[in-house]
Amino acid sequence: MVLLLVQVVVMVALTPLLVGVMRQVRSRLEGRAGAGILQPWRDLRKLFAKEPLRAPGISWVQAAGPVVLVTSGLLLCALIPLVGTVASPLLTDDLFVVVGVLLVGTVALALVGLDAGSAFGGMGSSRHMTIAALVEPTVLVAVYALSVPIGSSALSRIVNARIEAPASVAAPVSLLAMVALAIAVMAETSRMPVDNPSTHLELTMVHEAMVLESSGRDLAWLELGSWLRLGALLGLIGTLTLPWGMAVEVAPVPVLVGVVTLAVRLAVLGALLATLEVFLAKLRLFRVPELLAGSFVLALLAVTASYLTVTV
Amino acid sequence: MTDTGVRIQLALLALAVVVALLAPVHRRALLSGLVVAGIGIAGVLTGWLALTGHAGRLTIPVALPFGPVTLSPAPLGGFFMLVIGAVGAVCAVYSVGYVHGPAASRTSWVALAVFLTAMQLVAASADVVAFLLAWELMALSSTVLVLTEHAHRATVRSATLWYAAMTQLSFFLVLLGFAVLSAEAGSTQFADLAASHVDSAASNLAFVALLLGFAAKAGIVPLHVWLPRAHPEAPSHVSALMSAAMVKLGVYGAVLVTTQLLVSASTWRSLLVLGVGTLSAVYGILQASVASDIKRLLAFSTTENIGLMFLAIGASSLLRPYGSTDVADTALVACLLLVMAHAAFKTTLFLGAGSILRATGERDLDLLGGLVSRMPVTSATFGIGALGAAALPLTAGFVAEWVLLQSLIHGGGTQNRILAITMPVAVGAVALTAGLALMTFVKAYGIAFLARPRSEGASQAQESPTSMRVGLVVAAASVLGLGLVPGLSVSVASRALGLGDAAAAGSGGIDLVGLGATLHPGPLLLLALVLVVPVVVVSVAAARRRPRRDVDLAWGSGGVRVSPRMQYTATSYAEPLSRIFDDSLRPERDVVVTHSSEARYLVERIQYRQRLSDVFESRLYLPVIGVIERVGAAAKNLQNGKINFYLAYSFVAFLVVLMVVTL
Amino acid sequence: MSDQLFAQAIGMCAAVLLLSAVLLVWRRAQAAALPLMSLQGLALASLVAVLGIQAGSRELLELAALVLVFKAVGLPLVLVRSSQGEQGGAPLINTATSLIAMAGLTAVAYVVSAPLSALGSGPTVQAIPVGIALVLYGFLLLVTGRHAIVQLVGFLVIDNGTSAVAFLSSGGVPVIVELGVVLDVLLVILILYVLTGRIRDEFGATDLDDLTELHD
Repeated sequence: MVLLLVQVVVMVALTPLLVGVMRQVRSRLEGRAGAGILQPWRDLRKLFAKEPLRAPGISWVQAAGPVVLVTSGLLLCALIPLVGTVASPLLTDDLFVVVGVLLVGTVALALVGLDAGSAFGGMGSSRHMTIAALVEPTVLVAVYALSVPIGSSALSRIVNARIEAPASVAAPVSLLAMVALAIAVMAETSRMPVDNPSTHLELTMVHEAMVLESSGRDLAWLELGSWLRLGALLGLIGTLTLPWGMAVEVAPVPVLVGVVTLAVRLAVLGALLATLEVFLAKLRLFRVPELLAGSFVLALLAVTASYLTVTV
Repeated sequence: MTDTGVRIQLALLALAVVVALLAPVHRRALLSGLVVAGIGIAGVLTGWLALTGHAGRLTIPVALPFGPVTLSPAPLGGFFMLVIGAVGAVCAVYSVGYVHGPAASRTSWVALAVFLTAMQLVAASADVVAFLLAWELMALSSTVLVLTEHAHRATVRSATLWYAAMTQLSFFLVLLGFAVLSAEAGSTQFADLAASHVDSAASNLAFVALLLGFAAKAGIVPLHVWLPRAHPEAPSHVSALMSAAMVKLGVYGAVLVTTQLLVSASTWRSLLVLGVGTLSAVYGILQASVASDIKRLLAFSTTENIGLMFLAIGASSLLRPYGSTDVADTALVACLLLVMAHAAFKTTLFLGAGSILRATGERDLDLLGGLVSRMPVTSATFGIGALGAAALPLTAGFVAEWVLLQSLIHGGGTQNRILAITMPVAVGAVALTAGLALMTFVKAYGIAFLARPRSEGASQAQESPTSMRVGLVVAAASVLGLGLVPGLSVSVASRALGLGDAAAAGSGGIDLVGLGATLHPGPLLLLALVLVVPVVVVSVAAARRRPRRDVDLAWGSGGVRVSPRMQYTATSYAEPLSRIFDDSLRPERDVVVTHSSEARYLVERIQYRQRLSDVFESRLYLPVIGVIERVGAAAKNLQNGKINFYLAYSFVAFLVVLMVVTL
Repeated sequence: MSDQLFAQAIGMCAAVLLLSAVLLVWRRAQAAALPLMSLQGLALASLVAVLGIQAGSRELLELAALVLVFKAVGLPLVLVRSSQGEQGGAPLINTATSLIAMAGLTAVAYVVSAPLSALGSGPTVQAIPVGIALVLYGFLLLVTGRHAIVQLVGFLVIDNGTSAVAFLSSGGVPVIVELGVVLDVLLVILILYVLTGRIRDEFGATDLDDLTELHD
C-alpha cells in the first residue's frame, strides 16, 4: 500500500518533467532553444490560476471528465509496478484491469470532446475512439503473449520472472511482444506517428481537438492526466525491458533505488521517443489502421511462437 | 419445492389475464404491471430454489401421445429462470409508466404475461414436450407483442414477418433435433436423453439441427436477420424482454446440448460453435458501431454479446478434451456471467432508450442530444448501462469479460496445435469486439445525451415518470452491483453448472483457483476513491479563487457561433470506422449534385446519401428468397383454374400410388 | 349353380360392365349416357346376384336388388334430370386419343391387380382387373370431360368399379356398408344436380371452360 502511494506521488512529480525532457530533446534536435525542462510545471501552474469558461449548452461532463481522466492516470501509476514489484494480496495488478483503467480515461476524454458541441470536438472524439478500438486487439494479445511464459497475467509476477531470468527479456517472443506493445502505446497516448502532439492545424488534431474547448483547471487536469498516462505506459515498457533496480521489498533504500532507476528509465525512453518523433511524419488517419494491423500481427505471431516453441 | 414455485407462477398468470381483461382502463397498467412483476419475482425465487438444490417436480397431463408434461428445473434451468424472472420484474415495473396507445391494450398485457410465463416454463422444462410447447407459446406471444404498433408504422409488419418466419424455422430445427434424439433414446425426458448413447450419424444430425435452431433463436449470424428488425419495432419494455431474456433461452439450449445432452470430444463441433460465435461477435458490434437508430444499435449489440457467449461455450468444449477441466469449466462460468451481465446492462439500455423515445419521440441518434441536463436519471442510468456494455471496470460486463479472457489465455496451447492457433485468434476477436463496443457506446451515450439538441423533440424532452425511473435505477444498480461484488455471481454461475462454490473469494472478489488469477473490484474502487480525494480538494480550492465563468461563444479556435446542426452526429462519428471496414459493411453511397439553373458551373445543392444495410440480408437472404419466389410463381402455373387439371392431378397421384404399391 | 355356369355368368357380367364403360368413353358420355349407365347398373346387379346365388346368401340377393334399384334406375334418372337434354361440346381430347388412353389404362389395371392374384384363382379373382379398369376409365372421364355432366358420369363409373372390385374380391360386403356407400353416392349426385342447375342458371351452359376462377 505504501509502495502504491509512493509510486503515485513520484509519478505526479516526474511525468511533467518527462514531458519537459521530451519537448526539450525535440527542440534541440530541430535546432531551437526550447523552453526548458520545467515548462510543463509552469504551464500547469498558469492554468490553475485561470478561470475555466463555460459556453452555452455545456454540461457537468466538462468538469467531471478531466477529474476522471486524472484519477484513472493516478490509478494506473498505482497499479503498474514502476518502483517496486511487491504484490499486494487484495489489489489485482492484472494487466487486463490495467487496460480497463486506461480505457476509462480514454472514454472520459472522448466524452469531454463530444460535450463541447463543436465540430472539432466531435471529430477528435471520433478519431480517438476509432484508434482506441483498433489498438485494443494489439494491446490484449500483447498482454497475452507476455503472460504465456509465466502462466498468469498479473504484472508483478511477469516482472518478477523477468528480474529473475534476465535472458528472457531478449527472447524473440518477448521482443515481438514489446514492439507490438510499443506501437500500441504510441497510438494510445497520441504520439507520432499516430497523432502530432504539437500540431496547430485543427484537421490534423486528434487529442488536441478534444481539449480545444477546455480551459483553466479543466485543461490543467486534462494535460496532467494525459502526461500521467504517457508516463505510466512508458514506465511499463521500461519495467518490462529494463527490470533492474526495482524494489522487491518495502524498505527505504530499495525504494529510493527504485525511484532513481525509474527516473533514469523514463528519461531514456522519453528521449528515445522524442528522437523518433523528429524523424517520423504523422500518418494519414486512414493509414493508421494499417499500422495497427501490423502491430496486431506481430503480437499474434508472438503468441503462437511462444506456444510452438517448447522451451520458453 | 420448485413445483410450488411453478404453480404460483401459473396461478399468477391466470390472475394477470383476469386483471388485464377486467381492470378499468385507468388502473389497468398499474395492476397488470404489478401482477406481471409478481410473475417475475416468483420466477426469481423458483430459480433460486432450483439452484440451491430444492428440486421438485410438477407433472401436467396433456392430451398428447407422448406422456405428461414435466416441469422440474435443473440448476442450469433454475439459473435462467432467475435471470429471466429478474428482467421480467424490472420490465413490468417500468412498463406501468411507459405503456401508451396500443401497448396499453388488453391484448398486449395478456400477451406480456403469457410471454414471461412461457419463458420461465421453457427454462423449467425437464422433458422435450414441455420444452417445445413452452417454446412455441413464447414465440406466439412475442409475435403478438412485436405487432403491437402495426397501425402506427409500416415497417412493423415486415419486421414481424421476418421474425415469425425465423422463429418458426428455429422451432422446426429444434423439433427435428429433439425428435432424432428422442427416437434414439426412446424417451422424451432430458435425463434419459443425457444418459443414452446415440450413434454418431444421428448424433451429428441432431447436434447440427439443435445448434442451428438455438442459434436462430439466439440471434447468431447468419440467422440473426430478424433481430435488428424485430427488436426496434417492438415497444421498449418488450424489446428489453426479448433482448435480455428471450435470446438467452437460445444460449440455454446451446449450453444444454453441448454440456448435457450431446457431450462429445469431437473437435469440429467445438470449432463450429466457436466459429459462429466469433463471427457473430465481430459482425454484430461492427454493425452496431455504424448504426444510427438507437434500438438497432442495441439489437446488434445483443448479437455481439450472444456471439461472445457462444464463443465461450465453444472454447469450453474445445478445451475440455485437452486436459484442463478447470479452464473449460471457467469458460462455461464466463458464459453464464456474460448472460447475467448482458441481461443487466441490456435491460438498462433498452429501458433507457424507451425513456428517450417517450420523451422525445425520436429513435434516431442523429436527432437527439442535450438530454443530460433535461433527463438526469435516464442519462445516469443509460451511462451506467453503456459502461457495462463497453466492459469497463467496476461493471458486470468487465467481470464477465475478464473471466472469459482468463479462461482463453490459460488455454494450454502448448499441448495442441489447434489450440495454439484458435486461442490467440479468439482473444484477438474478443479484444476487437471490446474495442468496437467501447466506441459504439461512447457514440450512443455521447451523441444522445451530450452537446446540444439536434431536433425539436430533443429540446422538449422531459424526464420519465416514477415507475420508469424505478425500473431504470434497479437495472443500473444491478449492473454496478454485479460488477462490484462478482463473487456472488460467480458462485451462482458455478452452482448452475454443478461445480460447487469454488471460485468465490473473500471481500466479494473472484479467485479462480485452478488458474491462479484473482480479481477484487472492491479494493480497486476504494483505491480510486482515495486517489480522487486530493484531485477534488485541489479543484475545489482552485474554484474558490477562480470560479467558472459563462461566456456566449464557444472557442473553436477563434470564437464561433455553433448551431446544433454543425455538431457531429452519430453517422459522422462512425464514418472513419465505416470507411475502414468498408469491405465488410458495404455501404451504399450516393452523391447527387444539382447545378444552378443559370450557370452550369454553379452548384445549387449537393445531397449525400448513405445506406447501411445488413450484408447477410442483402447477399444471402434476398437471393434465396428471390429463388423461392420464382419457384413459387412457376408453381402457380399449376393452378390455372380448370377443374379438369385439378382432377388430372388427383388421377395421376392415384396411378402413382397404385404403381408404387404394386412394385 | 355349377362351376362352369358360374364362371360363365361372372364372365358375362364383367364383359358387359367393360363394354358399357368403353362405349361411354367412346360416345363421349352424351346422348347415350342414360341407357349405358342403366346397362352398367344392370350388369353390376346381375354380378351381385350371381355371387349371391353361388354362395347361397340371402343378403347378397337383397343387395343385388338394392343395386338394381339405385344404379340401374335411380341414379341414371337423376342424371338425365341434371343434363336436361344438353348436347355438350367436344371433350378435351379427341376420340382416338381417348381410346388409346383407355387401352393403356387397361394394361395398367392388369399390372396393378397382379398382387391380388394371391387371393386365389377362381373366376371372381380373374374378373377383378375389370373392376379396376372401370375405376380408371371413370377417372379418365372425369379428367377429360368438358361438361359437368360428363364428370358426373365419370364419378358414377368410378363408384361402379369400386363396388365391383369389392364384391369380387371379398365375396360381398355387409348391407350396412353398401347402403352407406350408395347413400353417399346419392348425396353427391344430388349435390351435383343442384350445382349443375345453378351453373346453368348462372351461365346458360355448363361448359367448364367458362369456370376458371379457382386459382390465385
